[in-house]
Amino acid sequence: MFSKYPRTLLAFLLVAILAFALAPAQAQDAVEIVIWHMEQPPQRVERVQGLIDEFNAANPGIVVSQDVQSWGEIYTKAPASVVAGNAPDILFAIPDFTPIIRELGAVQAVDDFVAEIDETHGYLDVGIEPYTSDGQVWAIPLWNMAHAIWYNVDDLEEAGIEEPTTWDEWASAVEALTGEGRYGIGLPANRNLYTDQVVYNFMINAGASALYNDDGSLRFNNEQTVRALDFYSQLSQYSPPDSPSWAWGEAEVCLGSGTCAMVNQFAFLRSYEANGGDPANLGVMPMPVDEGVEDPGTISYVNAAMILTDDAAKQEAAYEFLRFIFQPENYGLFLNMEPGLFLPITESGFESESYWSDPLVVKYREQLETVLDYSRSGRLFGFTGGQTFPSIARISAQNLLSQVGQLVVVDGMGATEAAEEGEYLMMEAIE
Amino acid sequence: MNEGKRGRAVRYLLVILVMFFIIAPFYWIYSSSLKVSTEIVAQSPTLFPESITFGHYANLLSSSDYPIYLTNSAIVSFATMVITVVLSTSAAYGLYRLPFPGRKTIYRLILLAYIFPGSLLLIPLYVMLSRLNLLDTQLALVIINVTFAAPFSVWLLKAFFASIPFELEEAASLDGASWLQTLLLVVLPLASPGVASVAIFAFITSWTEYMFASVLIISDANRTLPVGLAGIIGQYVIDWGLLLAGAGATTLPIILLFVLIGRFFVNGLLEGGVKA
Amino acid sequence: MGIFLVAPLVIWLVATIAYPIFSLIRLSFLDVGVIGTGGEFVGLDNYQRVLNSRAFWPSMGRSVVWVLGNGLLQTVLAFVAALVLNLPFRGRALARTWVILPWIVPAVVAVIVWKWMLGTSGGVVNMILLRLGLIQEQVGFFSTGNTAMASLVGINSWRFFPLLTIIILAGMQGIPKDRYDAAGVDGASAWQRFINITIPGLKPVLFVMGLVGTLWSVNIFDVIYLVTGGGPSRATLTMPVLIYDMAFLQYRLGRAAAAAVLMAVAVTIFTVAFIYFLAPGSEEEDEEWG
Repeated sequence: MFSKYPRTLLAFLLVAILAFALAPAQAQDAVEIVIWHMEQPPQRVERVQGLIDEFNAANPGIVVSQDVQSWGEIYTKAPASVVAGNAPDILFAIPDFTPIIRELGAVQAVDDFVAEIDETHGYLDVGIEPYTSDGQVWAIPLWNMAHAIWYNVDDLEEAGIEEPTTWDEWASAVEALTGEGRYGIGLPANRNLYTDQVVYNFMINAGASALYNDDGSLRFNNEQTVRALDFYSQLSQYSPPDSPSWAWGEAEVCLGSGTCAMVNQFAFLRSYEANGGDPANLGVMPMPVDEGVEDPGTISYVNAAMILTDDAAKQEAAYEFLRFIFQPENYGLFLNMEPGLFLPITESGFESESYWSDPLVVKYREQLETVLDYSRSGRLFGFTGGQTFPSIARISAQNLLSQVGQLVVVDGMGATEAAEEGEYLMMEAIE
Repeated sequence: MNEGKRGRAVRYLLVILVMFFIIAPFYWIYSSSLKVSTEIVAQSPTLFPESITFGHYANLLSSSDYPIYLTNSAIVSFATMVITVVLSTSAAYGLYRLPFPGRKTIYRLILLAYIFPGSLLLIPLYVMLSRLNLLDTQLALVIINVTFAAPFSVWLLKAFFASIPFELEEAASLDGASWLQTLLLVVLPLASPGVASVAIFAFITSWTEYMFASVLIISDANRTLPVGLAGIIGQYVIDWGLLLAGAGATTLPIILLFVLIGRFFVNGLLEGGVKA
Repeated sequence: MGIFLVAPLVIWLVATIAYPIFSLIRLSFLDVGVIGTGGEFVGLDNYQRVLNSRAFWPSMGRSVVWVLGNGLLQTVLAFVAALVLNLPFRGRALARTWVILPWIVPAVVAVIVWKWMLGTSGGVVNMILLRLGLIQEQVGFFSTGNTAMASLVGINSWRFFPLLTIIILAGMQGIPKDRYDAAGVDGASAWQRFINITIPGLKPVLFVMGLVGTLWSVNIFDVIYLVTGGGPSRATLTMPVLIYDMAFLQYRLGRAAAAAVLMAVAVTIFTVAFIYFLAPGSEEEDEEWG
C-alpha cells in the first residue's frame, strides 16, 4: 500500500523526464507544415485547428499550423509571398486561382497522390477535372460546393404553385410570387463571384455551359448564351431593387426574411438557422431547365489544396496530413466546419458517419440529400469538356460573366448585344 | 425678444440635424447589434430593439481573437503616434523656425507624398519589407502608417510654430540655450495643443488603416482590428449579428478613447487656429 | 541647422515612397503579368495599350467626377457643420468634439453600416423614405450607375467631412474678431460677413485642404471596392480601382504600373496648377520666411 505510491510517482517522474528530454529533440526534427486557407469565419478556423491538433498529437514528427487569409487579398498576397520566398507549404485554392500561382512556377504536380486518394476514397468525376491541365493534376480536391434553388415552402403553397421544372413554368411562378414588397426571386447583379455563379447557372440550363471550343477559342457568343441572358434579365424584374449590390449574404437574408420567395445559392444552413429559419419551410430544388437542353446541372466549386513546397520531406508530411483529413472519421468533421456549404468530393465521404451526424446536417438531411444528388451534375465555367485553358483565370478573376449580367440587368442592353460585348471583353482579357 | 426665441429654436434645430447625421448610423449599429438575429433580418426594421441580447457580443468574444486584434491595433497606433510626433515636430521646427534655402520646396514636396495610389505602392513595398524581413511584423505597419500620417501633421503644426514670437527664441539663445533646449523648453510647450492634435491625428490614421494591414500581416496573432473585422465577413455566408457586433466592438474602444482625449484633438486645433 | 531637423522625415518618406515609385516606373516599361514573374523591356508599349484601351479615359473621367463630387459635398457639409457649430449653444464643446466621430471609425465599419442601411431587405433608409412618403417603392441605391456613384460619394463624404469641419472651425478661430466687429458696425448682413470676411480669412486653410483633400480622395480605393467593386457596369470604376483591377485581376502588372504613372502625372499637373494659380499670398509668405 505504501510502496505503491512511490513507485507510481517514480514511474510518472521517469516518463516526465523522458518526455522532457525527448521533446526538444523531436521538435527539432519535426517537419513543419504551414497551411494557408481562406475559411475565415471563426468556427471554421476552430474546427480546422481541432483537426490539426489531433493530427499533430498523433504524428510527433510533423508540426502542422494554419494561417487564415481572406479571399479578398489572397490574389495579391499569395503571388507576393511566393516572390518574397515566404509562401506556405499548402495553399487552398479554387480552380481559377491555381493557374495564377502556376505561372509563378510554384505549384507541384500531385498526380500520384490524387490517384492514391481516388483509389482509397473514390473522387467524384467533377473533382479532378478542374485541376487538370497540361496532362497533370495541380491540386488535391478537398470538397465540393454546389448551388441549388432554395425557396420558402409557405410562399409556394399559398400561391398554389408546384416546383417549376421548365423555364416557362419558372417565369410564371416568379411573376405570381411577386407583389406588395415581396419579390418572386432574388437574383444578384453585382460585379462579383456570386453573380458569376448565378449567371453561369442560367447558361448551363440553357445549354451554354462550354465557354471554349475544343481548340481553345471562345464560344461565349452563341444562341444559348443569348437565351440565358435574356431570361436572366426577364426574371430580374422580379428581384429586389438592391440586387446589383448583392453578395451571398444579402440573398440569404432576402430569403430568410421572406422578402424573396426564392434564391439561387449554396446551402447556407448555419445562417438560415441563426436567423431563426424553420427547416420545414426551407425548400430546395434543381434549377428549372430550358426546353430541349439535354445536359442540365449546376455550378460547382471544387476547393482543393495546392502543394507549394518543393522539399520532399515536407511534401510527404503534407500528404500525410491530407490522408488524415480524408479518413472517413475526420472528413465529415472537416466538411462540417460549414455544414451544408461544403459537400463531400469523395464517395467515402458521402457515406461517412462523421458527415451525417452533425446536428445541422441531421436537421436538414432531406434538403442536403437533394443538394448532394444535384452536386453530381456540377461543373464550372472554363473547366468543361475535359480540357482547361489557363486563360479562364483572367476571365473569372475579372468577373466577366457578372459584368455581362449587369449589362442586361442594370444597363438594359439587349441579350444579343450583351453576348457580343461579353465575348469582346473576354477576348480583350485573354489576348 | 420673439425674434431671439425663434432664432434660438432654429439654432438648436440646426445643431440637432447636424449631430443626427453624424450619430444616427452609430445608433443603428449598436441598436441592431443587440437585436436577436430574426429581428436584425426582419423585412421591416425596428427603430428600437424589441429583443435585447448580448449573444452576438459573447459569440464575438468567444469565437474570434478580438482582444489580440485590439492589443495589436493599440500597439501599432501608439508607436505610429510617437514616431510621427517626433519626426513631424522636428521637421516643423526646422521648416518654420530655422530658415534654410529651399525649405519651401521641401515643405511642398512633403505634402506630395499623397500623390501615388497606395494600392500600387503595395507591391514594391511588400517586396521591400520582405527583403528587410519585416513582413508579418507590427513594425512594418508602423513604418507605413508614419509615412501617411506625418506629411499632414507637419502642415497642422505650422500654425502653432509660426505664431510663436521669434523674440522668445532670441531671448533663449541670449541666455545661452542650445537649439534643442529652445525647442524642448520654449517652443514645444507653446505649441503643445498642436502637438496633441498631431498625436491624435496619427493615432487615428493608423487605427483606421486597412489595405496595408491586410496584405503585410500574415498571421492571425499580428492582425489589427479592421482586418480582424473584415475576417468575420467571410465568403458565401454572413452572420449579420456577429458582423454588427464586430462593427460595434471595433468602434467602441476608439469612442471610449475619444471620451477621454477627444477634446484635446479638437481644442488643440481650435486654440491654435490653422494657417497655411 | 533646420535642414538637419527636416532630414529624418525626408529620409523616411524617400525610403518608403521614392523607392516604390522608382520600382513602379521601372515596372511600367516591362511586360510583367502576374506579380513576381519576370518581364522583358517593351518600351512604351504598356503606355500605348493603356491609352488605347476602352477603359482608361472613362475611368479618368469617373475619377474627376469622384473628386469633384467629394470636394463639393464635403465642402458644403463641412461649411454647414462648421457654421452651425460656431453658433453659441449649450453643449457646444461636446458637439465640436463628437462631430469627428465618422472619421475615427475604419472604412470597413462605415461600409458595413451604410450598405446595411441603404439596402432594400430591411434597409432603414428605404423604410424611412417610404414612411415619409418621399418614395413610392424601395430604391436600389447601388442599382444604377448614377445612384451608385452618388451613394458612394455620400458614404465617403460622411467619413471625411468631419475632419474638414474641424479644420475650418479652427481656421475660423484664426480670423481676428475685430474684423467682424467692424463689419457689424457697418451693418453688413450675415451673408456679407461670410463672403467678405470668413471666406477670405479661410483662404489659406481651404488652399491646403483643397490640395491634400483632392490627393486623398482621388486615391480612395477601399470604400468603392468594398461596396460596388467598380460596378454596376463599371459606373464607379475610378482610376485606383481600375489600376487594382489591371494589376491583380487582369494580371497585367506592367500595364497597371503604366496606368498608375499616367494617373500620377495627371495628379501632378493638377497639383502644380493648383499651387501656381491658387497659392494664397505666397509673396507675403516669402517675406515672412525670408
